[in-house]
Amino acid sequence: MDQERTATVTEPKESAVLPDGSKEFVVDVHTEDMELNMGPQHPATHGVMRILLRVDGELVTGAQPHLGYLHRCAEKIGENVEWLQYLPYTDRYDYLAAMNNNLGYSMAVEKLLGIEIPRRAEMLRIICAELNRIGSHLIAFGTYGLDLGAFTPFLYTFREREWMMSLFEKICGARLTYSYIRIGGVFNDTPPGWLGEVSRFCDTFLVKWQEYYDLVVENQIFIGRTADVGVIPREMAMDFGLTGPMLRGSGIDFDLRRDMPYSLYGEVDKAGALNIPVARGEKGSLGDCWDRVWVRTMEMKESIEIVRWCLDNIEAGPVIGELPKTLRVPAGEAYVGIENPRGELGHYVVSDGGKVAVRCRVRGPSFCNLPVLEEIMLGTLLADSVAIIGSTDVVVGETDR
Amino acid sequence: MSLSTLALPLSLLTDPALKLAESETPEVAEAAAEMGELTSGTNLINELLMLAPIPDFVPGWAIPLTAIMIGVAIVMGVVSLNAMAGTWLERKVSGHIQCRYGPMRAGWHGFLQPLADGIKLMLKEDMIPIGSDRVLFVMAPALVLASVLGALAVMPLSPDFFFADAPMGLFLILALTSTTTIGVIMAGWASNSKWSVYGAMREAAQVVAYEVPLGISLLVPLIVAGTFSLTEVSEMQSGMFGIGGWLIFKNPFMFPALILFFIAVLAESKRAPFDLPESESELVSGFLTEYSGIRWSFFFMEEYAAMFLYCVVTAFFFLGGFNSPLTWLFEDGGLLPNVILWNVAAFFTIVVKGYIGLFVMMWVRWTLPRLRIDQVMTMGYKYLTPISLVCVLGAGIWEWGKAALLG
Amino acid sequence: MVTVSKYFENVWKSMYSTCVGMRITWRYLLQKPITVQYPDERMPIPNRYRGIHYLEQEKCINCLACARACPIDCIEMDAVRHGKELEWISFTLDYQKCMFCELCVYPCPKDCIHMGTEFAFVSEDRSEFVHDLLSYKGMSRDARTRMIEADKKKAEKAAAKAAKAAEKAAEDAKGGDAN
Repeated sequence: MDQERTATVTEPKESAVLPDGSKEFVVDVHTEDMELNMGPQHPATHGVMRILLRVDGELVTGAQPHLGYLHRCAEKIGENVEWLQYLPYTDRYDYLAAMNNNLGYSMAVEKLLGIEIPRRAEMLRIICAELNRIGSHLIAFGTYGLDLGAFTPFLYTFREREWMMSLFEKICGARLTYSYIRIGGVFNDTPPGWLGEVSRFCDTFLVKWQEYYDLVVENQIFIGRTADVGVIPREMAMDFGLTGPMLRGSGIDFDLRRDMPYSLYGEVDKAGALNIPVARGEKGSLGDCWDRVWVRTMEMKESIEIVRWCLDNIEAGPVIGELPKTLRVPAGEAYVGIENPRGELGHYVVSDGGKVAVRCRVRGPSFCNLPVLEEIMLGTLLADSVAIIGSTDVVVGETDR
Repeated sequence: MSLSTLALPLSLLTDPALKLAESETPEVAEAAAEMGELTSGTNLINELLMLAPIPDFVPGWAIPLTAIMIGVAIVMGVVSLNAMAGTWLERKVSGHIQCRYGPMRAGWHGFLQPLADGIKLMLKEDMIPIGSDRVLFVMAPALVLASVLGALAVMPLSPDFFFADAPMGLFLILALTSTTTIGVIMAGWASNSKWSVYGAMREAAQVVAYEVPLGISLLVPLIVAGTFSLTEVSEMQSGMFGIGGWLIFKNPFMFPALILFFIAVLAESKRAPFDLPESESELVSGFLTEYSGIRWSFFFMEEYAAMFLYCVVTAFFFLGGFNSPLTWLFEDGGLLPNVILWNVAAFFTIVVKGYIGLFVMMWVRWTLPRLRIDQVMTMGYKYLTPISLVCVLGAGIWEWGKAALLG
Repeated sequence: MVTVSKYFENVWKSMYSTCVGMRITWRYLLQKPITVQYPDERMPIPNRYRGIHYLEQEKCINCLACARACPIDCIEMDAVRHGKELEWISFTLDYQKCMFCELCVYPCPKDCIHMGTEFAFVSEDRSEFVHDLLSYKGMSRDARTRMIEADKKKAEKAAAKAAKAAEKAAEDAKGGDAN
């Protein structure tokens, strides 16, 4: 196909010899594919990702994501700072889900330390992680609307996210890079009245959620833009090792919170508060963009359920376990994967018994979900490619780290 | 009537008022008598100028020429004022829809924001990208603005104040507003940017597709009204408290035609959900990507002027034109017959109707996501065109049946 | 292939969902906006907000715990020790580096470094972001008086000791003399 599109030089059947001795040629010019740099500065690339598109008119005939514009050596820094000091850096790779990152790293180090986490701390961790998941999905959902040209849902989702951030501001003092969940528990106990406000947030959020759903997800234009676009069949999702909403959007029922339970998620599951939404291909074929967005919207609702369960079952108690002042982690290695809003966020830490990690490796979900773009963007229209990038919900800070 | 036929091509130059000032033929005198005291806008300005003490050295042709210039200035002023009001309204509407205030700093509720913006745009560096086609790049915004200025000349501001009442006024408006496409394509091509070319090509495809349903859906009110002239169509909708005579109530196919026309207008004026030529999140800024400063603002002015014009056309051909309860009060058979007040009321009526249309366009824009190019084409060719044809057929049968039954 | 029923279903669904969306946006159009006009009105800032640091200099003992806890080494302090009292030279925090993680606050044994609610820190000069947290340089008046008192006490003690020694020496001399 590529060969046909480029200009070809052919020799005519009765080629005349020109006076200077060279032969006559006929240049057969086909339209050539255009190379289009989408990014690093483009409104649809969610940061500084660059996608090199090959386009034939509006048709995309090739797509290649280029990474590295936001590389900050996060893993190398992990090998140079002390265990606790790496915590603020974990906030900064997936900056939309900092709580989940804190949780993953802390759990990996705790696994090496082999310490017990107080129950209240575990509850607070789950509340914060799930609230942060809601916030992250709100951004994914809002910016997806923005990609498709609907500006208003973006502002609506930001309104709820603002409330969520002010909740976090009250408990830990920061709005984006929380550094709240730490090795051995959490930094602070809740300020008075905080849990009540979380409960009020849950109630209000469900009302607003219905509005987003009616305004965007059920809108016929939105369905037209997303249904049957960027279809990832089940097999392809497995082959590319997708995780998170991308995987569940392809109809595979797999969630680390339920299938490899960590923290108190096992109890949540037993109590019946963990109902993982899995796409069914309602509006188009299974695994299209609409399914992925639908999974995210339903996950927000489900996170509210989990938060409610925690609010009902939280007890008073300490929020941080006994830890020495300078943390020395026993030699060994540990891998902990948690369910980040984007998929499996794995932390692999190796210790030689010192104050500093020997190796600190991060498996970023949006980095691992990215290669599938190259496959599913072929043969789509230019506008679809924007919709597909948006539906992968990529956070460039984390793909590049 | 015969004279206004002359006004069709280049209506500003062959305005009846000018002929009036020079010629003495009986035909013209007759027409002038027909038109009464307040006829066309240029004529009015001309007469006002005549009242002023004019020195002898001023040649006779200078006064009508000045009148034309003033007329052009008024249309230009309408365009820029409309763009200012439009941007302010757009920001406020979008802001309040999105739970925010919009501009609040410059003046009362940001009322002077467009002024500040205008100053900023004028002071901004005028960039012409390297490798662009300079001539086309500079020409494109002017062409775009000129076409919409020409179209606005046909728009009457009140029943007795207009610059050119062409009997085929609607045709002129449709034809001239379609020429903006050429300017947009020129802009896209001359910018030497891939995004701009995309925007231009999308614009071309879109306008070609939507001219068809736009014209066909307008056939429905034309069948009902039987005239192309904006003033005439407004006249025939008077009476019944200024509301009952509206064309939309005269035929059951008028309402679907209104919706079809409105959708086609959205596409023609590049408004969301049909803003594919600009589509910020896909094409950066479409054909506007390389434009900045005052040239960019020309495109902006054109957009708002075209939107306003289309809304006014909608008001004329569907929603009663100059007629509202307010004008009904002051019209000939009304409670307080007064020509001047009637004209003022009619002016306000048409502006308010136009801005209500503008508001609905904004409301739609801040609600819906954008369509994809193939969906835009599908919608134009497979949905709007056949449905509007059905509407025309139905309206025709209805009118024929009415005529046959009622005699 | 689009069937006739599908065709009309599409038309109906598009119209209906557009109307639903427009109803939602219309409702918001009439509501009061939720944003605030920033410089005039401000959102409340919670007590735990992690803003610009402040230091209770009287309590600080120059133990460097916060500087050691900092992941990017943005805290630097310098003081001269006079017995128990400190003469401060500098305690700087480089806000070009600081990431407001609050890790410096927890290890403090005297609980003297805190993060305040102030967040705006604007400057045209990069060097101004190296912010000195000290409220005074050198020694505080109290510390100085304490030091002087301590010195006095020390001197008195020394004098007393000397006197005692002299006494003892004198006694010794006397005794020796007696012997």
